[in-house]
Parts: sequence; structure tokens; C-alpha cells
Amino acid sequence: MTEQTQSYLFLAVLLGVAVAFPLVMLGLARLWATVYSPAKPGPAKAAPYECGLESTGDAWVQLRSGYYLYAIVFLIFDVEALFLLPFAVAFTSLPVGAFVAILVFLLLLVEGLVWAWQKGVLEWN
Amino acid sequence: MNPFSYLEALRLAAPETALAVAALAVLFADLGGMRGESLRHRAILGAGITAVGGAMALLWLGFAPGYGTIAEGVLVTSPLTQLVKAGLVLLTLLVAGLSLDPRFTGHVGEYFSLLLLGTIGMMVLVSTQDLLMLFLALELTSLPLYVLAGFNKRDRASAEAALKYFFFGSVAAAFLLFGFSLLYGVAGSTRLPVIAAAVALKPPDALTLVALVCVVMGFGFKVAAVPFHLWAPDAYEGAPTPAAAFIASGSKVASFAVFGIVLAQGLGPMAGGADWHGFTTGWLPLLAVVALASMLLGNLAAIAQRSVKRLLAYSAIAHAGYLLLGLMALATPANRPAALAAILYYAITYALSTVGAFGIVAVVERATGSDAADGFNGLARRSPALALCLMIFLLSLAGIPPLAGFLGKFYVFVAATRAGDGSLSLFWLVLVAIALSVVSLYYYLKLLKRAYVLPPDGAVPATRPDVMEFVVIGMTAAAVLGLGVFPRALLEPLALAIQQAGF
Amino acid sequence: MSTLQSFLIVSALLFGIGLTGVLTRRNAILVLLGIEFMLNAANLNFIAFWRFGPNPEALTGVMFALFAIAVAAAEAAVGLALVIAIYRHARTANLDAVEELKG
Repeated sequence: MTEQTQSYLFLAVLLGVAVAFPLVMLGLARLWATVYSPAKPGPAKAAPYECGLESTGDAWVQLRSGYYLYAIVFLIFDVEALFLLPFAVAFTSLPVGAFVAILVFLLLLVEGLVWAWQKGVLEWN
Repeated sequence: MNPFSYLEALRLAAPETALAVAALAVLFADLGGMRGESLRHRAILGAGITAVGGAMALLWLGFAPGYGTIAEGVLVTSPLTQLVKAGLVLLTLLVAGLSLDPRFTGHVGEYFSLLLLGTIGMMVLVSTQDLLMLFLALELTSLPLYVLAGFNKRDRASAEAALKYFFFGSVAAAFLLFGFSLLYGVAGSTRLPVIAAAVALKPPDALTLVALVCVVMGFGFKVAAVPFHLWAPDAYEGAPTPAAAFIASGSKVASFAVFGIVLAQGLGPMAGGADWHGFTTGWLPLLAVVALASMLLGNLAAIAQRSVKRLLAYSAIAHAGYLLLGLMALATPANRPAALAAILYYAITYALSTVGAFGIVAVVERATGSDAADGFNGLARRSPALALCLMIFLLSLAGIPPLAGFLGKFYVFVAATRAGDGSLSLFWLVLVAIALSVVSLYYYLKLLKRAYVLPPDGAVPATRPDVMEFVVIGMTAAAVLGLGVFPRALLEPLALAIQQAGF
Repeated sequence: MSTLQSFLIVSALLFGIGLTGVLTRRNAILVLLGIEFMLNAANLNFIAFWRFGPNPEALTGVMFALFAIAVAAAEAAVGLALVIAIYRHARTANLDAVEELKG
């Protein structure tokens, strides 16, 4: 057995344990539940919270549209960071032109942020 | 491989850079100083900056055109690309001229900025030979167009138009990307000449054919050809009229140019045959079916339309059919220069008359409150000049001499007849196209009858274009008439540029 | 069956699932999800062809996938914005309710 397959063997064992451990625990919990606490559903038990205030309204509340604007702005900035990673990895071997180009790219992102700010997209009221 | 030269890239992309700077400037000028001003003033400022950016780009294209190639075809500029780009910038300026009364939005800066960004996308689209750049440029063109279609936030129809346009467009983009990924797999490269060499090596296998179908579907959507046309009537009708004019003109020219480039330079060796009595595998039979369906459905459905914008949309579908016929002529290498010149002449003159027609629709829409054909009743009595321009545009679209639309059709049909090295293999389609052109005359004349023969309905408010609208409509009408009488003014530069570009 | 083939089959399946979703779902958000499926099927193709292709030194496939991801995000942003725009008018993201324009 080569050294390489041995290191994979370790991973396989780890995976097996990682799957088996929670399964054993869940099985024990299940066993405990069936023996000591059989299910007896009732209106009080079926309520979302067994104590505290009565819950009111629907879980499907309408979110303000500002929330979605936030999400969209976040989505764009989150994904554009994608281009920064290869740039950072190859940074030391890049010519000056590439540096200027990525600066322009970042400036465009900043401009987008400033625009969103000025348009009041980022205000939550 | 040579090191990538950023200065060279900047030199070749100078016109696009000018427009990009203008796009940012217009955004911030509107955001910064113009908050309290009236919409009208903001629109004038926006259109002014757009015009300055466009003029810079045009000057650069005209007097200091840089020809060259960077990164093995990522950006290619030749006399041909610069000429098409100049046409695209001009169309954008015309659309900007129609946008001086933006009662459909409060976001004027964003409107002009998106207009410019879309134009940049189109310009890059026609000057690249790399699938990656092509895909990016296509999306840079499409995304602003989706937003522009939905720019009227108060109008439900506008939002609906944008959503439909977006869904059809992104499915088409997904098909295109999938096709590109398979082409990359076939050739091991994203450059069109390499792909052409790879597909020339062996008869088309399943992988190449799936790629081909995906690519044709993707571009078929962009040019609104049947059966990928479903978005067009809704988008044209729901979108604000200047935005619809932009979707119908610049985007059409760029899409057909790039479709031609991909078919001729990337997939040329697998054209196949679309002879009447025997199809052989390749893109010709695909295009033949799509072109036939577009001409039939476009012309027949246009007859039943009550909304003028929808009528223009179905007429656009029919014109896409004619232009696809021109693209099919690209399959024969000896025929390519003439066919390409015919396609570009047709597309540019078509775009000019469409911008003009949409300009008139905008004026009538403002007076009557809708774009229904009834609103055109008695236009000749309300505004004779407008009716005359409408006649020029519609007759040019129908293909009546001596207007540019006639010559465009003529050159495209001649090119298609000559395709296949004298075998007349596409002649059956040309016959169908000519027959359907006659049908199209019916619905254009029906609209003209409303303008010239029918009396106005009751008390219609005066139909007066504002100054810039009048200038734009007049200029396009003059161009359509002028290019019809002196076609050499456009054809000779086109032929020269095509020759220099090495087609 | 080579590894490349199995990748292509997976990507074709992904593309098919996405297309089915686009054609059958009536909720605008789920249609958007279907479109993302289709785009990512193409990305998988790019990566597979790059990894098992003749010259994996040229990073073309990876670059294409990276740019496609960025473009897909921009597309999703525009799509979501348009869905919000239609929601403001129709109070629903159900596409069956969105059919005012006809003809």
C-alpha cells in the first residue's frame, strides 16, 4: 500500500466514523423516545411555542422591497469579488497594466456603491 | 504569445471607452447637480452628454481609426468593424434624440447611461472573434435592454414586457452558452478561426450538431426569428417607445452582424445545403426553416394587429426572415463579400426606418394616449410633414423603389440567388420572400390609408413633434430616401471595408 | 465510458432539468432558478472540457466559467429586479397572472 492510498484510507475511516456517530446517537434518541415518551399530540403541544405569548399572524410576512434591493446589491458585490481572487493569487507576477486595470474595475465597483448610496437604496426606514 | 498590451487595448477600444466615460458622467451629472431640476432639463443634459460621448466616439472612428488585433482575436478592429460601429453610435444618438421627453421615468441619468452601455455591448459584439468576449458583449447588450424595456415603473405593461423579454432572453443566453461550451470542447479553443478549422476536419458529429442548434437558437432569439420571436411583440408594445426603438434598431444591426460573423468565420465549413429537393446537414437547412417560418408568420400576423407597435414588431420578425436569407448566402465563400454588404446595407437602412417609424409612434402616442392604429386616422390633415415621413418609412419597409428598403431587399435577394455557385439552391426561398413582400404591402398600406384617407376621429389634440423629434424623424426620412437614390454612398464604403477586412 | 463523457451526461441532465423547470414552473423565481441550472450546466461543460481536453495549460475553460458566473449573477440581479417590478403591479410572482399583453 503506497503512502498516498494510506492518506486516503485515513479520510475514508474519518468519513465512516463521521456518518456512523450521528446515526448511533439518533438511533439511541429514537429508542429513548419510543420507550419513555410516546407521542401524545394535543393543541397545546402542537402550538409553535409551548409557553410565552400566543403567536399571531402568518409566517409568510411580506418583506419590504428595500430588503430585496439590499439583496440584489449584495449579490452583485459578492460575485464581482470573484475577479479579485485570481488577481490576488497572481499579483506578484503581474505587469503594471494589470494593476491599473483592476484598479479601474474596483473604481467602477466603488462608483456603483456611491450611486446606490446616493439613490437612497441603502437607507432603511 | 506576446504579452498583453494594455495601451494597445486602450487604443483599439478608444470609441467604446469614450462612451463608457460618457455613461458614467451622465449618471453622476444627473445624480449630482440636477436633483431639483425639471425632467425636461435633466433629459436635455443627459442627451447632451450622450451626444458628446457619441461624437467623440464617431470622431475617433472617423479620423483616428486604429486597426489591429489584441490577444489573438479577443478584440479585432478593421475598417468593417469601425464602419458598423459608427452606424451603431449614430443609431444610439438618434434614439437619444427621441428621448428628450422622458415622461415615462424619473430616472433620467440611468436611462441614458443604460442606453450608452448597451451601445458599448453592441460595438464590442461586432468586433470580436472570441466566444468569451462575444458572450460577454451579448450580455452587456441584453441586460441594459431588459431594464430599458421595463423602465416605465408606473406602467404594468412595461414591467410585463421587460419580464417576458428577460425570461426569453436569458433562456436563449443559456442555450448560447451551452452551445459555446460544446464548441469549446470540439475545438479546444474559443477563437472562431480555430473552431472553423476544427469543424472542417470531420463530418459533423452529434456534439457539433447540438452545439450548432444551441447557437442558432441563441442568436435566433436575438434577431427575433420564428419560433424564438414570442418576446418581440410584447416587448415592443410594453416598452417605452424610445426604448423599443433602440431594441428594434441598434440591437438588430449588431445581432445580425455578429450572427453573420459566427456563421461565416466560425461555422463556415459546416454550412450544409438547403436545396429545395434535398437538405444536407449543417446550418443552412436550420436557417432555411427559421427564415421561412419568420417570413410567413411575421407577415401574416402583422395584418391582424391593432397596435402600431405590435405591427412594427411583426414586421420586424418578417424582416428578420429576409435578413436570414442574406445570412444563408454567406455559406458560399465566393459570394461572401457581396452577401455581407447586402446584409449590412439592409440592416442599417431597416434600422433607420424603424427608428423613424417609432419616432412618429412616439409623437402620435403623446397626442392620443395610445399607440392604437385608430390614432393615426387623419394624420395627414393634422400634421402633413409627419404623415409624409410615415409614408417614406412604411414604403421603405415594404420595399417600394426608390427607397432604401427596396434596394436592401433587392441586394439580399440577389445574393441569396447567387448562393451555391450558380445552382440556384436558395431560389425557392427567394420566391417565397418576394411573394410575402407583396403581402406585407397590404398592412403597411392599411396604416397609410388611415393617415391619408380616413378623417380624424373626433377632437384629437394637435399632433406636434418637439424640435429634436422632428430633427430625428426628418433626418432618418432623408437618409432612407437618400440611401435609396444614392445607394453607393453606403455600399461603396461597405464594399471597400469588407475587402480590407479580408472577407 | 470515459470520465469526460460522464461529465457531459451530467451537464446535459442539468441542462434538461433547468429547461424543464423553465417550461413547467409558473413561479417567476423558480423559472429564474431553472435558468441558473442551464447556465451552470454550460459551466460544468467548460470545466470538464478544460480538465480533460488536449491542453489544460491554457486556462480558457476556467476563465469562461468564471466570467459566466459573474454574468449569471448580473442576470439574476436584473431578473429579480424585474420580478419585484411586476410584483408591485400584480401582487404576485405567478407568471399566469402576467398576461396583459397579447395578440
